[in-house]
Amino acid sequence: MTIEPTAVIHDIGYRHYDGVRLGRGRATLALGVQSLRGVFGLGRTIRAKIMPLLLAAIMLMPTVVSIGVMALAKQFVMPYSQYAVFMQAVIAVFLAAQAPYLVAPDLRFRVLPLYLSRPLTVNDYVVAKLAALAVALFCLMALPITIEFVGEMLIDMPMPLHTGDFLGALGGTVLRAVLLAALGVALASFTPRRGLGVAVVIAFYMFTAAVSGLFYAVLASTGRDDVAPWALLLNPFFLVDAVQSALFGTDPATGEGYPPGVASCLILLAVIALAVTGVLLRYRKAAS
Amino acid sequence: MTASATPCFATEGLTKRFPRVTALDHLTVAAGTGVTGLVGANGAGKSTLIKILLGLVPPTSGSASVLGLDTATQGLEIRRTVGYMPEHDCLPPDISATEFVVHMAQMSGLPRTAARERAADTLRHVGLDEERYRPMGGYSTGMRQRVKLAQALVHDPRLVFLDEPTNGLDPQGRDDMLALIRRVGTEFGISVLVTSHLLGELERVCDHVIVIDGGRLLRSSAIREFTRAEQTIAVEVEEGQRQLADRLTGGGETVAVQGRLLTVQVSPDDPGRTYDAVRDAVSDLGLSLLRLEQRRGRIEDVFKESTAKEPVA
Repeated sequence: MTIEPTAVIHDIGYRHYDGVRLGRGRATLALGVQSLRGVFGLGRTIRAKIMPLLLAAIMLMPTVVSIGVMALAKQFVMPYSQYAVFMQAVIAVFLAAQAPYLVAPDLRFRVLPLYLSRPLTVNDYVVAKLAALAVALFCLMALPITIEFVGEMLIDMPMPLHTGDFLGALGGTVLRAVLLAALGVALASFTPRRGLGVAVVIAFYMFTAAVSGLFYAVLASTGRDDVAPWALLLNPFFLVDAVQSALFGTDPATGEGYPPGVASCLILLAVIALAVTGVLLRYRKAAS
Repeated sequence: MTASATPCFATEGLTKRFPRVTALDHLTVAAGTGVTGLVGANGAGKSTLIKILLGLVPPTSGSASVLGLDTATQGLEIRRTVGYMPEHDCLPPDISATEFVVHMAQMSGLPRTAARERAADTLRHVGLDEERYRPMGGYSTGMRQRVKLAQALVHDPRLVFLDEPTNGLDPQGRDDMLALIRRVGTEFGISVLVTSHLLGELERVCDHVIVIDGGRLLRSSAIREFTRAEQTIAVEVEEGQRQLADRLTGGGETVAVQGRLLTVQVSPDDPGRTYDAVRDAVSDLGLSLLRLEQRRGRIEDVFKESTAKEPVA
């Protein structure tokens, strides 16, 4: 038999591991943290970093303008509670670009069975992915308004601080992050192809935005002003805005007003529950 | 059946029916520590059995236990202490083997620093060197199989399930993988359940072989029972093959010449005598020994024989 030079390395004996073994919770947390980092391209290639960081930078632009206007003209032009509705296209693109990254490769390259052969359960996996995307979206949306608020505090303005509006906006941001994460993962997890996932999520956003706008215009122009506001709720961003103004008393982003707050809250809860159930069912099926 | 007191896994009347097919049919089998081979044609129920043993799929009826834990109720504990290498490809192409194996170690509950250390160790043991820092998309099938094995071993399990680990490998890669599996079972001290649809390759690495067909047990026994009667040693020397054959025959051994190889029948009553005789003869004649290995009778023959008879239920 010939002697391979690598044999020397192989001859270092096997050592058993007798260190600490953490539980399911910590494994889920590790998966969530790894996924969250991945959403912003951390620990991935340069190419994977471009899109999320570019979009995060675009999200900050109105903040820069707003702080400039506050400093120079002493005017408050960009209410915190309306930031997300104003920037909804950018947020939707971020969601479409990053939600498929979280779920599609594990389906396409069949990594899921490796997770499930470990102490992790299907539900742990889904929770980790949803939480990672929700936290990522929260960071994306909360950072600009937080910077703007810090700017408002530092600049000596002739009017009182908009603290209530800022806190309400933060509350709304939590709800919006959860809703968008649930919708994004639900849509993206139905296809193992990342490109298709991106297209599906962006198409969903454009479809809801267009249908919502169209219905509203048609209903309003035919004098059905009582039903018209319901059409707005088809757009996820207006749905959250309606709930935000009902729960936290912020001004509606549209001047028209929304249907009663309770209804908006129930619709929001129902949509989130539906999306999460869809994801869980989809993964139950993928696991078996 | 030769299962030891604490079987690695045991099943009792295990049945799994899918809407269209019965994957396992009243399977009762047990295996002890060491390397156990699970042999059967494609669709014989091997992968289904592994999924049930991992606690991922509930059986239709019957029960199964792994390391003394019930698969129906203690799936999480089982999955904490076993490793699993699936048959299919499961490696994302855009990350490196190191990152992937570290991540999988964390998913098994290892803290990050320990995961890094174990991943480096395990990848070295399966024979992946500098390549482990490159994205896995560019790996050969042999390297991919090694990474798959590494992720199954990284958390130092007590038992590892290897589903068709030699699939798609060329003969050299197949030999390397089988040698690696043998090392896992002996040197690493991790019990192995390895499946294959090729009977021949398992004889070299297994202590125990289970043959299933159509979800039913065909045979379960220790390798030495399969092959004891016809154990031989293969000897290859550089020159002086003739002299060696004569010398051994003179000493009362049964020798056959097969091309460049001498096949010496191991004495069934006193195996040590045959080994000593070969050693002494090579040494006394001053020959350069190229190869000396154990040969076993082919499991295939036993399998053919047992399929011809009534299956053992």
